[in-house]
Amino acid sequence: MPKNSKGIEVAKILPEKCIGCQICVAECPVGAIEMSNGAAVIDPEVCIGCGKCFEVCPVEAVKFEKKRSPKKIRKPEEVAQYARDNYRGVAVFIESFNGQGATVSWELIGKARQLAEKLNTRVIGFLLGYEVNDSAREAIAYGCDEVHVIDDPLLRTYISKPYGKALTDLCKKVKPEIFLIGATPLGRDLAGIVATNLETGLTADCTGLDIEEEKNLLLMTRPTFGGNIMATIFCEHHRPQMSTVRPRVFKTPEKNPARNGNIYCHVLEPPHDKLPELIDFIKDVVSGDGVDISRFPALVVAGKGACDLETMPLLEELANLVGGIVACSRPVVEAGLMPYDRQVGQTGKTVAPKLYLGIGVSGAVQHLVGMQGSEKIIAVNADPKAPIFNVADVGIIGDYKKVVPVLIEELKKRKLRN
Amino acid sequence: MHFICCIKQVPDTSKVKIDPETNTLIRSGVESIANPYDMVALEAALTLKDTCGGKLTVLSMGPPQAEQVLREAISCGADEAILLSDRAFAGADTLATSYALTRAIEKLAQKTPVDIVCCGKQAIDGDTAQVGPGIATRLGYTQFTYVTEIKEIDTVNARITVKRKVEGGSEIIRGPLPCVLTVELELAKPRRASLPRLIHSLKSEIGVWNAEAIHGDNQKLGLKGSPTWVKKIFSPPFKEGGPRFDARENPRQAVEDCLKTLLADETFAFHLLKQWGQ
Repeated sequence: MPKNSKGIEVAKILPEKCIGCQICVAECPVGAIEMSNGAAVIDPEVCIGCGKCFEVCPVEAVKFEKKRSPKKIRKPEEVAQYARDNYRGVAVFIESFNGQGATVSWELIGKARQLAEKLNTRVIGFLLGYEVNDSAREAIAYGCDEVHVIDDPLLRTYISKPYGKALTDLCKKVKPEIFLIGATPLGRDLAGIVATNLETGLTADCTGLDIEEEKNLLLMTRPTFGGNIMATIFCEHHRPQMSTVRPRVFKTPEKNPARNGNIYCHVLEPPHDKLPELIDFIKDVVSGDGVDISRFPALVVAGKGACDLETMPLLEELANLVGGIVACSRPVVEAGLMPYDRQVGQTGKTVAPKLYLGIGVSGAVQHLVGMQGSEKIIAVNADPKAPIFNVADVGIIGDYKKVVPVLIEELKKRKLRN
Repeated sequence: MHFICCIKQVPDTSKVKIDPETNTLIRSGVESIANPYDMVALEAALTLKDTCGGKLTVLSMGPPQAEQVLREAISCGADEAILLSDRAFAGADTLATSYALTRAIEKLAQKTPVDIVCCGKQAIDGDTAQVGPGIATRLGYTQFTYVTEIKEIDTVNARITVKRKVEGGSEIIRGPLPCVLTVELELAKPRRASLPRLIHSLKSEIGVWNAEAIHGDNQKLGLKGSPTWVKKIFSPPFKEGGPRFDARENPRQAVEDCLKTLLADETFAFHLLKQWGQ
């Protein structure tokens, strides 16, 4: 261990491991740590060798040998502190549009059931809107044990303030320990308001949710740095533990209309502020045919490597053959060959078809995050090193212009045989 | 009118990667840039200022180097720049960030009342889109997220009309000022600085505020004020991938081998060849 001039054994940060989160900077009691070129650096002459930075570093980037007592174990009373506050149950926000529940809400109820079983607690639905009783019953059929509803004409369309206040009020009354919201435009607008009002933690766009067994905390995993890195986040001291989740990350559970559950109606206490008014709704003029690629069981996805006009009819034929439709990666949209709503990936649509057939798709991370949930992935690419092959169930290395016609022929043969 | 634009300095995320061998961040060649969404917010604020007149203050929170993005904003036309920089702000999550920014906006508003706060819809390093709504909620301002167009600003009745993205389309919505706008990239194309402005920006003074300056409650700032903590960081799950067949010599053989592998899963084969039962 390196010593400073006072003979204190100091901590050192390994710059290649440091992720620049600055947690140690804030934690250091003597201000010995500073940021330099995006990495934390410890001034050895100021360091008192307390090891606090070592304890808080999420990536083990601090080199420090502990001499004193092993890490303090949290007292059981402390652990119980938050359970004492009576936050119980896993809640889901049920997004409703024109009396129809959003699919992502049902997906979240399915996940909430799994979490609730681990915690031995109930699944709660929060539903806001006007004339939304059908959605409340549907939420029970998908797995809610109870649904709390605020049904009011003021909530007919979504306006941030009244929705934010109504949902905050419900959380304060019902006190769930976990609260999940679909990461739709509406859900993301709303979640930030509620978390700020409740002064609790909110983790955006989670792709994985689980329970840590020691303290029963929610572990929320999400892509960060544009999908290049995954981070697992937790919220120990505040309730509810809130998270938004993108559509199609979790599977829709089976619906059971015979399921029992309770519906509680609450009264809206509207905010006193002057509210915005909705003037118009312009439905997306879907360029071309208005298809929603996320609804097809099979997708033939054109990538940068298959980005030319002549190929398109061939891909259409292949798509017809596998009962799907042609989609694409971002470069194809940028080249003007396909409309934006056919784009798969982080800035496009998240898809999870039964069959994903990538033609000339190299597999940039931003594309992969939008399709990794696909059941079977086939990749055709001329570059044997293309990252798409790492997520593909089966790959063909070669020129798509030679491969696709053969693929079409062979598929036709097999279909005839069946 | 008084406009405020919040700008974050972010690493160029497209260049941040994890070394698969050592599981550590590869940092070399990763430069800091102004969050692209925030530059569109700046353009929106500048356009509003051009239309209505008034003052534009830019605000950032980060280490001392973050003043670089504020100078960039001044070079584009911002009048005043404030950098929130203090050890006490370090390690802030979105809740603690919106708290610090709100305290700063409140302080600015004491001098000159604020009409519109412009933010990018999200920052490209975290992609949370939570700070904008956090600021709007704390200030009690009207909140418009995912704004793609500013339709009209009515200074007489203190209200604004915007077009914003919603599920399946866009809505036109009119609401009272003061407000917070979070903007989409398509709203505007950021302008370029003129040479005189560029020189002016280099000479401009950037106000640096610490926790004391914004009268921040230390329990709500930085790491202490952050309910969420990072437990661990890792590379996205790495998959080997299935078998690969080389079609460069014999495409037919490769396709046959590929289909054989794929259709070995009988249930899958059945559904595929029967068009998923449709």
